Amino acid sequence: MKKTRFKNKSSIVLYFLKGSAIFFILAILVSFCVTFLELIGPKIVQYTIDNCISGAAATNSGSVPDYILFLMERLGGKEYLGTHLYLVALLVAVIAILTAIFRYLFRVINSIAAEKLIKRMRDKLFEHIMHLPFTWHGENHTGDIIQRCTSDVDTIKMFISEQLLSLFRIIIRIAVAMHFMIRINGELTIASAVFIPIIVLYSCFFHNRISTGFEKADNEEGRLSATAQENLTGVRVVRAFGREAYERERFENQNYEYTNLWISLMKTLAAFWASNDFISGFQVMLITVLGAVYCVNGVITVGEYIAFVFYNSMLTWPVRALGRIISEMSKAGVSIDRLRYIMNSEVEEDVADAKEPPMDQDITFENVSFVYDNGSEEVLDNVSFKIKAGTTFGILGGTGSGKSTLMYLMDRLYDLPEDGGRILIGDTDIKEINRSHLRENVGFVLQEPFLFSRTLSENIGITQKEKNEKEIREAAKIAALDETIESFGQGYETYVGERGVTLSGGQKQRTAIAQMLVSNPPIMVFDDSLSAVDTQTDAKIRKALSENKGNSTVIIISHRITTLMQADNILVLDHGKTSEIGSHEELLNNNGIYKRIFDIQMQGT
Amino acid sequence: MNTEKNIKLKLFGIPKLYPFIKPYLPKIVVMVILGILSSLVDSIYPIFNRYALNNFVGKGTLNGLSVFVILYLVILLLQVIDNYAACYMCGQVEMSMDRDLRNASFNHLQELSFAYFNQNNVGYIHARVMSDTGKIGVMVSWRMMDIIWNGSYIVFVLLMMLILNIKLALFVIVLVPIAAILTTYFQKKLVVLNRKIREINSKITSNFNEGITGAKAIKTLVVEDKIQGDFEKNTTKMYKTSVHATHYSAFFTSAITLMSSIALAVVLWRGGNMKQEGIIEIGTLSVFLSYALGLLEPVQNVIVTISELISVQVNVERFFKLLGTESDVADTPEVIEKYGDTFNPKKENWEPLHGDIKFEDVSFMYPDGDEYVLEHFNLDVPQGTNVAIVGETGAGKSTLVNLVCRFFKPTAGKILIDGRDAADRSQLWLHSNIGYVLQTPHLFSGTVRDNLKYGKPDATEEEIWSALKLVSADGIVKRMEKGLDSDVGEDGDMLSTGEKQLLSFARAILADPKILVLDEATASIDTVTEKAIQDAIITVTKGRTSFVIAHRLSTIVDADIILVVQDGKIIERGTHKQLMEAKGYYHELFTRQFAEMSINTAVGE
Repeated sequence: MKKTRFKNKSSIVLYFLKGSAIFFILAILVSFCVTFLELIGPKIVQYTIDNCISGAAATNSGSVPDYILFLMERLGGKEYLGTHLYLVALLVAVIAILTAIFRYLFRVINSIAAEKLIKRMRDKLFEHIMHLPFTWHGENHTGDIIQRCTSDVDTIKMFISEQLLSLFRIIIRIAVAMHFMIRINGELTIASAVFIPIIVLYSCFFHNRISTGFEKADNEEGRLSATAQENLTGVRVVRAFGREAYERERFENQNYEYTNLWISLMKTLAAFWASNDFISGFQVMLITVLGAVYCVNGVITVGEYIAFVFYNSMLTWPVRALGRIISEMSKAGVSIDRLRYIMNSEVEEDVADAKEPPMDQDITFENVSFVYDNGSEEVLDNVSFKIKAGTTFGILGGTGSGKSTLMYLMDRLYDLPEDGGRILIGDTDIKEINRSHLRENVGFVLQEPFLFSRTLSENIGITQKEKNEKEIREAAKIAALDETIESFGQGYETYVGERGVTLSGGQKQRTAIAQMLVSNPPIMVFDDSLSAVDTQTDAKIRKALSENKGNSTVIIISHRITTLMQADNILVLDHGKTSEIGSHEELLNNNGIYKRIFDIQMQGT
Repeated sequence: MNTEKNIKLKLFGIPKLYPFIKPYLPKIVVMVILGILSSLVDSIYPIFNRYALNNFVGKGTLNGLSVFVILYLVILLLQVIDNYAACYMCGQVEMSMDRDLRNASFNHLQELSFAYFNQNNVGYIHARVMSDTGKIGVMVSWRMMDIIWNGSYIVFVLLMMLILNIKLALFVIVLVPIAAILTTYFQKKLVVLNRKIREINSKITSNFNEGITGAKAIKTLVVEDKIQGDFEKNTTKMYKTSVHATHYSAFFTSAITLMSSIALAVVLWRGGNMKQEGIIEIGTLSVFLSYALGLLEPVQNVIVTISELISVQVNVERFFKLLGTESDVADTPEVIEKYGDTFNPKKENWEPLHGDIKFEDVSFMYPDGDEYVLEHFNLDVPQGTNVAIVGETGAGKSTLVNLVCRFFKPTAGKILIDGRDAADRSQLWLHSNIGYVLQTPHLFSGTVRDNLKYGKPDATEEEIWSALKLVSADGIVKRMEKGLDSDVGEDGDMLSTGEKQLLSFARAILADPKILVLDEATASIDTVTEKAIQDAIITVTKGRTSFVIAHRLSTIVDADIILVVQDGKIIERGTHKQLMEAKGYYHELFTRQFAEMSINTAVGE
């Protein structure tokens, strides 16, 4: 049933690469130019030494490519250049400038590609997460998702823009250098090249072997970090039980273990670096000596010798990096799969030809039954009722009776299962209604309001397409918030959330109410939204609301009889079942739960 | 958050770090010598080349080749051993200093007062212990070695060039200061840009956080597109800033390599001329070519390293700021003399604690506050009295408890314990007699047994079980697979909040404290557990001097004294009956909560 959007790693990588791939390809092409230009230098030096400087008339120039010979001829030929060496220097300088320009271009293009890639990854992930069903959010830990969206994204960016690209660059570099080296002398080239697989394999082998050591060290660091974290978050417990000395011992032991592990890792690493130094050093020595022998025997010229030694030393570092890069690349696979999990989760989708009916109609709950997947005790069992358009409807029930669930279902935060009954707006099943249309028309004040880290006016007016100060202020007035806001230093421009002021529970609730009122929806839901507001303000808000609600249908969930008693109809829920339904007077006459609650609340205070 | 003043530290703070460096000084000295030797060898390699060119190639003979090879190999081997030893020691110094710095900061934190923990959040303090120390460790080991390596390499190469040929050397040396100035200029720019990038990055992370934790609000408000739009604004900014920064760094690195090539060109020209004139040999020319190409990168490295050292200065400052912070409730020398300090208590001198507490004309202002929250406060709490503290979330209910526990000291006035000023006895003495159950129960990772025994390390099996039974938590433990030896997970993750709460009650009981502090849970827990917790509260407070910070007022109606807090100040006090009759703020709070209570009672019948 479930369709998988990205079947394998490469499909999602290609998807993310859309728009940046062309820049990556361009970067590789430019990098080819850089490498080529860089490696031409020694050839010119070789030509100059052989033909212009060393005096001993060069025997052959076969290893110098034709285009360089051509260039040198155009500059005046070897005799002329021999007396005008500055021209050669100029040529080297010109090539150097070209190299610098291409190198600059390469880095900029590569950066454009990498940043385009990471931007696309982030944007697409965020967009996808925005449109995942609410149940998905319940099933996944916030910390884990954020981890995926930050560090896994970085890992993949590194993988493509640094590791993969370095791999290409190093291969190009080796190929171009080999090309020039072979022209000088095949045997010497083989002597130099045999070391490449040795170094790469040795380094791959080593990195794979040590990776378990790194993992262990990472885990140990995690434990040490957690110990410190626990001590700090539990500082009250530590102090109140007077266990500082114990904590100190615990941390120090952990600290020693971690440190010793790292020191032994360092020993292995140092041994690896040193042995690698030796292999590379040995190779350089071998080429120096062999080259000298070949040169003395007249197989190669002095210039060729110098050029060859240059080329050989230019390969040392890239080859050493190659092994590390190859072994690190395997780690990216895990990150790709972690992002694939998010991108493969199914987003909320509307049925084909979703309807957009008028929403100022009666709302009908028909035999609604619902159980949460996570085993929460809150359930709904065959609940049916009807809310007439334009009326006020109250819902009363104990903790965990399923009041909020009814509203979540109506707003399709959760979808009713096939056999879970129906919810209708007018005659339309909400399953057939376009989700955005439905939610835009149902104003929902949540039990635990969420404020965005923006200014108050931005929070209240968040649903506005274009900012409208007047509407924001009016909504704030109805929610009895205007005066409170004015009392803040920056009024409506006061920043809330992480970096701003902290609002009290009641202020948050009132902000959420104002936020909902701004869009003036035909259906308004207040999910216990005045619980943290004192009784007078509560009454004030309700009065202002009833004056301003117009034709909207209002649904209020509350524990307070005083809040609900003016509603046209009140539903009493008891552990997921309809206990009674009717107006305040009818319910009182019923002599059921409602009456009992009423009695307790009236005389209790 | 960062309100720290920039204390100017001399020489990157190394003099201040001296006590931490001292134990490793011999190692560091050896390291420095090894580093200098290694770079000396690096600067010698081209000389081998020169020898090969001048004596073998130049003279066309292979005499002495075997001696040459052996000498080369010996030097290579020595350098490899040298590098191995230097790296290993460097790692040792890094990790050992890290460890010492971490221990020092962790241990200091154990003695700091709560003023520090209130003013700095856990994440911030945690970073001081874990990341500042690491950065300092890297600074005194690797970064210092980088400077030694590169610095001495530059010096050796310059010397070598001057010895070989002063005139030619001067052409190359001119470029060194130019490269240095260029690097310094760009490095400054890049530091600023990188800081900006980090800021945007943290914004993007908090965007993710908001998008995920606020999913319910975003869906009900249908503002997915708006939130997405704002997110993309940040990712676009990130894109632009990153590419902008790359322009600088790309230009800069290209410029440095360009300069190297220019140096090469100049050497080829002037050196070529000298060779033609017979002033220098071909080998010397080749050495100069290598030096010219390889000299500027170390210059660049040294400057980049220095700028890294400058940025680590912040970490050094923060570290010493932490170590320099003094506890404002520290015991006096006389008290320490008699009762011992945190890590070396003199338990033989401790008097038993009875449990009479008296506030005598206490005034208090939080160290970071600007207003008195208690003024001339008097309260007599004879042994066995139950004191309840009520008020809205964030109203400042913990103040009194903080004073009783000596987490803070009164700004004026005295708190008497058993008739004597609390400051006359050690904190550890007091803390060993206090039981503390937190609002968000804090368990340490480990087994259930470890956690229960936290306050009484020598508790017997029977004592543990009787404590568990007393709070009806024995069932929880029996249900767990390994009973008392079950792992509770990080921060007690394997248990529900209610279970954690009950276990922390058992932990407090086990310590059999004379004074008990309870901070009631705000989180909604299922009704059965809630009942169990309320029973546990009644059981544990019986006969003990206790302070209960209550959120559910039903818990505390029987308390001997109820203190009502609003905006940080105690505005009402009395018994439940008195306060209800007064019809003040307590009455208001109680009425508000009563609605929900009443429904649950009515439904529960």
